[in-house]
Amino acid sequence: MKKELSAAAKRKRLNHLLIHAGIILFAAACVYPLLRIFSVSLRPGDKLVSMDLAIIPAGATFISYTKLLGDTMFLRWLWNSLLITLATSFIGVSLASTAAYAFSRFRFPGKKAGMILLLSSQMIPAGMLILPLFLMIMKLKLMNTYLGMIIAYSVSSLPFSIWILKGYYDTIPRSLEEAALVDGTSQVGAFWRIILPLSTPALSIAFLFNFTTAWNEYLVARVVLFSSKQYTWTLGLFELQGQYITQWGMFAAGSMLVTIPVLCVFLYSSKWLISGLTLGSVKG
Amino acid sequence: MNILTSIGEVSWFILLVAAGVAALVGYLYSHFKFYSRSWFFPAVLAVFPALALAVFGGLLGGYAFKLWLSFLAAEAAIAVFFRYVVKGRHTVPYLLLAPAFVGLALLLVYPFVFEVYLSFHDLKLTTIMMWKNTGTLPFVGIDQYIKVFTTSPLSETTFWQLLLRTLVWTFSNVFFHVLGGFILALMLNNSIRFKGFYRTLLVIPWAMPQVVAVLAMRGEFHATNGFVNIVITRLLGFFPFLSHLGVAPVQWLTDYPLLTCTLINIWLGIPFMMVVILGGLQSISSSYYDAADIDGASYFQKLRYITLPLVRPVMMPAVTLGTVWTFNNINVIYLVTGQAGGTEQADILVSALYKAAFTYNRYSYSAAFAIVVFAMLFFFSVFYLKSFDAAKDER
Amino acid sequence: MATVQFKKIVKKFGDNVVLNGVDVDIKDHEFVVIVGPSGCGKTTLLRMLAGLEEISDGEIFIDNLLVNELHPSKREIAMVFQDYALYPHMTVEENMNFALRLRKMDKAEIGARVTEAANILQLNKFLKRMPKQLSGGQRQRVAIGRAIVRKPKVFLFDEPLSNLDAKLREEMRVEIAKLYQRLNATIIYVTHDQVEAMTLAGRIVIMNHGIVQQVGSPIEVYRKPVNLFVAGFIGSPTMNFLSGKLAVKDGVAVFSNESITMPIPAFVLPQKEAREGREVVLGIRPDDVLVERPGGDKCSCKIDGVLEVCELLGHRENLYLKVGGQRLLATVEAFFNRSPGSAVSLCFNYQNMHVFDKATEQRISE
Repeated sequence: MKKELSAAAKRKRLNHLLIHAGIILFAAACVYPLLRIFSVSLRPGDKLVSMDLAIIPAGATFISYTKLLGDTMFLRWLWNSLLITLATSFIGVSLASTAAYAFSRFRFPGKKAGMILLLSSQMIPAGMLILPLFLMIMKLKLMNTYLGMIIAYSVSSLPFSIWILKGYYDTIPRSLEEAALVDGTSQVGAFWRIILPLSTPALSIAFLFNFTTAWNEYLVARVVLFSSKQYTWTLGLFELQGQYITQWGMFAAGSMLVTIPVLCVFLYSSKWLISGLTLGSVKG
Repeated sequence: MNILTSIGEVSWFILLVAAGVAALVGYLYSHFKFYSRSWFFPAVLAVFPALALAVFGGLLGGYAFKLWLSFLAAEAAIAVFFRYVVKGRHTVPYLLLAPAFVGLALLLVYPFVFEVYLSFHDLKLTTIMMWKNTGTLPFVGIDQYIKVFTTSPLSETTFWQLLLRTLVWTFSNVFFHVLGGFILALMLNNSIRFKGFYRTLLVIPWAMPQVVAVLAMRGEFHATNGFVNIVITRLLGFFPFLSHLGVAPVQWLTDYPLLTCTLINIWLGIPFMMVVILGGLQSISSSYYDAADIDGASYFQKLRYITLPLVRPVMMPAVTLGTVWTFNNINVIYLVTGQAGGTEQADILVSALYKAAFTYNRYSYSAAFAIVVFAMLFFFSVFYLKSFDAAKDER
Repeated sequence: MATVQFKKIVKKFGDNVVLNGVDVDIKDHEFVVIVGPSGCGKTTLLRMLAGLEEISDGEIFIDNLLVNELHPSKREIAMVFQDYALYPHMTVEENMNFALRLRKMDKAEIGARVTEAANILQLNKFLKRMPKQLSGGQRQRVAIGRAIVRKPKVFLFDEPLSNLDAKLREEMRVEIAKLYQRLNATIIYVTHDQVEAMTLAGRIVIMNHGIVQQVGSPIEVYRKPVNLFVAGFIGSPTMNFLSGKLAVKDGVAVFSNESITMPIPAFVLPQKEAREGREVVLGIRPDDVLVERPGGDKCSCKIDGVLEVCELLGHRENLYLKVGGQRLLATVEAFFNRSPGSAVSLCFNYQNMHVFDKATEQRISE
């Protein structure tokens, strides 16, 4: 009996060893490109083009970072991105939070049609809407402006946000609002004082989703913004990564500066984000 | 000063939207006599936009005033609509929905309709000035649609080649996303040490800004400096016999652009699937496995008869979504091949239509192309949802 | 404190009629329990009174004031919800004073009221806690406390004890009874549990299928159920029902079915109701089935039956009997020392016998 047990335990240990090995292999594949960027960003200017695979290169230096911040408009690009993104997320979340409430709590003619419209809007290829949006923005004389970008971005994540928020509101018992009504709030007051504070996790997910979508967007920015002063960081980095190999270091440095905060926020919020996503997908 | 202006410009717009929401909320307060504050609504309606205009209108002038006027008009129209058209108890939900749906109508539905309009007219580099000045375009009927199937959107590839390429691209990506995601999720779903840490590392490709991730990966596929070729060269150094098997450094970006894009996109997409499937796996009660153990099921039998069917409902929506996303993925392909002088060997339908519009300035042609692509996607979705519904009914 | 009147209340969800003309008058300081099986419309009725549900037709008055169109908070009611509905993001104290804060009441007054309510409910220690950190019984008390601080005209309880385990439920039942004596308020209490209804109520409103079946004191509805539904719903264990036909022999009504034939004396069933061939249902509570006991003159003649199963409850014992094809339940003093399968003789206590018309299901006995 004892011998059998130990055999089973051995097999289990071997299994776990294999699993660890497999996961580490995959994890390395996931992390390595990031480490490579890090490594390139530290390389001195004359060794950018090298066949070296070491993470910390010989003669590591921060020269790329100082050059990036000093010689290019990188900070300005970050600032542009931040403004556009914050405005977009704010608008997106505030519109979604009320619309989702209507879908979650009320019965009204056209509810089902509205939900289907939302879902089917996800089927429209984003690439397809760039052209008319571009022409609209041109016609409104908003080319190369923040406003044009915000308008183009503001509803792109709306259906998804509404979906996530509706799913979350559905889990909040109705009796809470009813108690608030009896206590003396209006319907809107109940939403404001009870539902919104309770939905902070879902609101943050929606906000983050809006934020990351707009923050990482490239294609619309490419056609709307044309002066490098107005560029978002995605456009700026793409340009740096262009043909001139000398700018590799600056591209890598910029990538690191952008990626680290985004990564931190994402990892910190991933639990919420994931539960939101799975919630959405289960209900979808 | 620059910074101040930019803040001003943006906050002005936010205030505008906030004013819209505030006005609607204000209206709710007055409509329901819980708080008999009849002054609330008009005050909000007037004060917010006026403030916004006073503070920031001066900074911008011109179009700001026009936008503000049209906003006021829209607001008034909404108010009238609710006072006189939608009477009774459905007012609240409609009001709550109004801002979002107005936004969607203006920025999703209207562009869509506009795209259809464009596809029947002729907007190109030579007519765009005319359109800008007069707003009219020459009508060409279905000419653009005929061109979609007869002429090439790019300089080399035809529509049918693009279609084939798109299907291959979509299928191979989704297949490997699901396969990789499933394997990783299965491995992570054990009670092993460092589980949280591993998961964190594994979602990094998804968490990284896509532009950075794609551009960095593109760098790794560079012919001389890229990691992939460096590793191949070193392997050849250690095991010279490999070169007889045809292993050699490759010009990834110029010779195999579609393969490169696919590899990069697989790398990008696996974490999402992994997370969704892991969520599904974790929601399966362990008592099923206990029962199967007692029944004497092997590991693969448990996988086949318990895990797969129970993960399916979680996975199917994600797979559908993933298919649509992959089909519509311009980002990866454009970022890898889109620079001036980039290859067209990797283009799929959607990236071709983007290039047709913005590299070749064939706007109307691109619009017609987009409608065709949309129609295909639409029929796929309808067909797919139907079959999915049918499968649901059977159970 | 206040009176409440429901006048011809109708509630429809689409074509589905949930309440069909409910008329109830509730007096000042009264503890009224609305009881019925799930789906009978009792909770809907309560929610309409609270203003949470639209009234399709009819009128509701609180203190002779028509409240149909009044916002919930203006009706001067307080409600305790089935799932307590404590705001999860507020402490116990904030939960309790939320309504008062909304009314912009004086801070000192708010503090005084909360302290008073906390004293009554022994919640002083928990005021700073979040609802999550409380046990079920404590949450229940907070929910009640939230109602008390409002000093409402009417308290509404919507199945408040259904989420508690059996032991706590008993404790809270006693607490609520004590609270009623202390507050001396008008209370409307909805439950599906007839034990709660019997123990708490001053008056019981029994509902089924959206219609009020009977209104009366607990003892009235127990002793004189007006129809088959009430007879079957009130009382535990459930009443025995024997369906059969009446015959009239020499001016005496005789009940008979395949298994049992017995006369029914005139003090149970008035002569005018005893018609030849009338289909009736007899109702006899298990307590009134006397087994192996000498029946007096108020009892029926002896009937032979077979003991099928005994259930010992402690001081009482449930006997499942069979008389011919008819199954009967009798509750007797413990210990009934007979093995299953043995023959027993039993009789019915005429004093507590109920007779219902089979077609109309209405009571026809005295």
